[in-house]
Amino acid sequence: MKTEGLQVTTPSDLEIVMTRSFQAPRALVWQALTRSDLVQKWMFTPPGWSWAACEMDVRVGGRYRWAWNGPDGRIALTIEGEHTEVVPPSRIVHDEHMQMGPGAGGDCGGQDAEPWQLTACSELTESDGRTLLTMTLTFPSKAARDGALASGMEHGVSAGYDTLDRLLPTLRS
Amino acid sequence: MFHALAHPARRTIIRRLVAGERNLSELAAPLAMSFPAASKHVRVLERAKLVRRRVSGREHLCRLEAGPLVRTTDWLQEFRALWEQRFRALDGLLEDLQRSGDGDPETS
Repeated sequence: MKTEGLQVTTPSDLEIVMTRSFQAPRALVWQALTRSDLVQKWMFTPPGWSWAACEMDVRVGGRYRWAWNGPDGRIALTIEGEHTEVVPPSRIVHDEHMQMGPGAGGDCGGQDAEPWQLTACSELTESDGRTLLTMTLTFPSKAARDGALASGMEHGVSAGYDTLDRLLPTLRS
Repeated sequence: MFHALAHPARRTIIRRLVAGERNLSELAAPLAMSFPAASKHVRVLERAKLVRRRVSGREHLCRLEAGPLVRTTDWLQEFRALWEQRFRALDGLLEDLQRSGDGDPETS
């Protein structure tokens, strides 16, 4: 199946905007983003992690909570918040509060507990049976935004190493 | 540089320094390791020119060097890779749902 690649941009110091196209009708993408049984199937977790909780009350004022256990069975990461806008099947806004837990592993988790917070707005538009998702993440400060970008390096470890491998030859010179 | 970043503690140090300058105790505290051990990791990062240390009074303050790894575009690449992994899984799920009819889009 052919899909258009993910675009990631930083239009301001406080934002990260992602756009991605899916070969599916909008109503279906909406379900995949808002049904807890479906969210668990696609939301990437690092190797060795497992879902500890995935609760979603998708209505304005409704709360959600995603939590993962690390390899040792202790909580590694919790993301929770409240839905502030819910307009099926086109727009959903929630706030996110993230907290690393002791199960995040050895010396990269533990009390490395500077909680993050952000507001995530997902918008879906459909044309010709394809759905375009635009996800805007808004952070309270540039430092928080940059910290979230940097976290990709830890959570997407193998992808991170691929990038490092590409960078290496240019750095050796 | 690959070696400098190979240890998870050193990646944690880098990530914490993104938020700004920190002293050695602040960097060592969350690493579940002794102060000298943490200091050793900082030295590896210093040698790779990823971190610069300066002494102010009794404090050793560390900050990120303006290097290839700390440019926002590089963080963006990592971040993008993580989300692309998620969205590829979502592609697969959407395909399954359309085949099985489980998503039932007509009723929503």
